[in-house]
Amino acid sequence: MVKMVWRQFVMEWKLYTRDKGAMFWTFAFPVVMLLGFGFIFRGGGGPKLGVVYVEPAVSSPRDAALRKAMDEVQLHVMPLPAAEAEARWARGETAAEVIPTADGYRLRLNSYLMAQGGPAAGLVNQAWLLAQARLSGGPEPQRIPMSVESPGGRKASNYAAFLLPGLLGLNLLSIGLFSVGMVNVSYREKGKFRRLAVTPLPKWVFLLGQVLQRVTISLAQAVVLIAVGWGVFGIRNEGSYFDLTLVMILGTACFMSFGFALSSLAETAESYAAIANVFFFPLMLLSGVYFTLDSAPHWLQHAVGLLPLAPFLTTLRAVFNDGATLAGHGAALVLVGAWAAAAFVLAVRRFRWT
Amino acid sequence: MSGPALRIRGLRKAFPKVVAVAGVDLEVARGEVFGLLGPNGAGKTTTLEMIEGLTEPDAGEIEILGQTWTRNGQAIRARIGVQLQSTSLFNKIKVREALDLYGSYYPKARPVDELLDLVQLQDKADAYHVTLSGGQQQRLALALALVNDPELVFLDEPTTGLDPQARRSLWDIVRRMQSEGRTILLTTHYMDEAEALCDRLAIMDHGQVISAGTPASLIAQLAIPSVVELTFEGAAPDPAAFSTRLGEPVERRGDLWEIPTRDPKALLPRLLETAELAAVPYQQVHVRRATLEDVFLHQTGRSLRD
Repeated sequence: MVKMVWRQFVMEWKLYTRDKGAMFWTFAFPVVMLLGFGFIFRGGGGPKLGVVYVEPAVSSPRDAALRKAMDEVQLHVMPLPAAEAEARWARGETAAEVIPTADGYRLRLNSYLMAQGGPAAGLVNQAWLLAQARLSGGPEPQRIPMSVESPGGRKASNYAAFLLPGLLGLNLLSIGLFSVGMVNVSYREKGKFRRLAVTPLPKWVFLLGQVLQRVTISLAQAVVLIAVGWGVFGIRNEGSYFDLTLVMILGTACFMSFGFALSSLAETAESYAAIANVFFFPLMLLSGVYFTLDSAPHWLQHAVGLLPLAPFLTTLRAVFNDGATLAGHGAALVLVGAWAAAAFVLAVRRFRWT
Repeated sequence: MSGPALRIRGLRKAFPKVVAVAGVDLEVARGEVFGLLGPNGAGKTTTLEMIEGLTEPDAGEIEILGQTWTRNGQAIRARIGVQLQSTSLFNKIKVREALDLYGSYYPKARPVDELLDLVQLQDKADAYHVTLSGGQQQRLALALALVNDPELVFLDEPTTGLDPQARRSLWDIVRRMQSEGRTILLTTHYMDEAEALCDRLAIMDHGQVISAGTPASLIAQLAIPSVVELTFEGAAPDPAAFSTRLGEPVERRGDLWEIPTRDPKALLPRLLETAELAAVPYQQVHVRRATLEDVFLHQTGRSLRD
C-alpha cells in the first residue's frame, strides 16, 4: 500500500512539473508579487504622493516659499504650464492640482482618484501653513516626532515583511480551491475517477497520493518564498520554525478540506470556477493579504474575522514577523481549526466519484 | 472453467427523468464477442456501467465470471478490462507511463511492450497522451483495458468518432483479443461494426432488448430478405400516393425510397412500370440484402442513427 501511494505521489509530481502554467502560478507568481509590491512600497509609506503645480505667469516669493515647503513635506511636485496642466487634467491623469489665483491658491481634486488626491491635498495644505508661517516671519513651526515600528514591536519591518505571510496564506487558499477542488471536479466531470473506479486501486490511495503531493507543493512554495524574502529583503522568520510549521499545517488542512468540500457542490469545472471565485476573491481582498482593513466598516471587519483566512494570517504574522508564541493566539487557532474540521466532515460526507 | 462469462437477470435502472434500463436479461458465453446494438439513449451504456460496477442497479442480478459485485468486487475488477465511452487520461502522461501506472493497480500486469505491440503504439510510447490522434487514443484505451490480462473485456462504443481506417484497425485489435481467448462485450450504434465483429447480438431500444441472436439469424427473422431502393437527386418526395398505387409499403429515408420485399424478381418489373406511369423522377434502382439496420427499422420504426 505504501508503495502504491508512493507511485501515485511520484506520478502527480511528474505530471505537475510538466504543466508549466501551474508551475508558474504556484511558484513564480507569488515571488513576482513579493518582489513587485516589496519594491514599490519599499519606503514603507507607499509611493510618493504627487501633485500638479500650475506655473504662474510670474513667480512671486509666496510661490517660491510654497514650492520649497512642498518639497520638504515629501510631495512629488510636477510643475506644468497652465495649458499642459489642463490637458493632463482632461485626460484624467491628475489626482490633485494646485492652481495659483489672484488672492492665493485653489486645490482641484479628481473625484475618481480621491485615494491619492485626498492625502496629497492634506500635504499641500501642510506645506502652505509652513510657507505662511515663514513668510510672516514667525518662529519655525515644529513637527511631532514620529517612529515606525511593527505591531509586535520586534523590529521595524517593511511592507515586504507584511506581505510575505499574506502570500503564504493566499498560496494555501489557492492550492485548496484550485489545485484540489477544481482539479477533482474536472476529474469527476471528465471521467478520470470512473476510469479509476473500474480498477482494483483503492480510491483513498489515489486521494492520499494527491493530497501528499499538494502538501509538498505548498511546503516547497513556502520555502521558495521565504528564501526570496530573506535573500532580497532580509526578511527572517522571527518566531520558532516549529510554531510556523504547525500554523502552516493547520492552514493547509483547512484550505485543502475547503477545496474538497466545495468540489462536491459543482457538477462541471465551469460552475466550480464560479463557486470558487465567490470564495476566493472576497477572502483574498478582505482578509488582509495585501493590506489591512482598518478603514473598513466594523461589521465587515468582524465578519471577515470569522472566516478562516484572516485569523490564520493574523497568527502567521504574529509568529513569523513578531516572533510571538502560539499561546496568545488560541482563539484564532481554534477558529481556523473549527473551519478545518467542518470542511473536512463536509468533504468526507459529500465527496462524489461520479 | 464452466458457466457463462456473464449472466444478467431483470436488470433495471431509473434516473429522475427517464427509465434507462427497463428489465434486461443477457447471457454471454466464454470466448464470444457479444454486441449491444442500439441508437443513442437506448440504455446500452447504462447497462454496461451496471455490469462494470460503476452504477448501482435498482433491481436485477449480475453474475460476472461466476462472481457478484456485492461479494467479490475487488476480484471482479482484477479479472475484467474496461474501456469507457471516453477515456480521460492526464494530458501530460506518456503512453508508456499510463500503461505502467494502470498496470500497477492490478495484482498481475502484462508487459508494457507486449501491449504496445498489440495496439501498434510502439513508436508513440514516449508521446504525451494529449498529442495522440483520436484513433491512437482509442487504441491506448484498448491497451489500458487489457493491462491486467482480463478474461472479460467491456468496450463502450470503441469506434465512435473514428475515421474508417482507424475503425478497421480497431476491429483487428478486437479480433486479436478474441483469438487470445477473451470474452468481449461491446456496444455500438454501427450495424456494420456489429455484423463484422459480433458472434451474437442484442438489439436494445428504450431500455429493453427487443431481439437477440446471431447477426444472420436476426436478419433471417426479418422474413423480408431484400430491399429495393429508388434513389433521387436531393430529398425523396412523399411516397404515400405511389405506395397505394403499387400496393406495397414504401419507406422514405433521406434521398431514397425503400421497398422491402421477399421476392425482388417479381417486384422489380411491376415497380419500374408503376414508376414510369406515375412519372416518378428517380435516378437509380438498387436491390440489396437486408441488414441489421433494416431489422432495427422494422422492429422500432426508427433508424439506428436517429
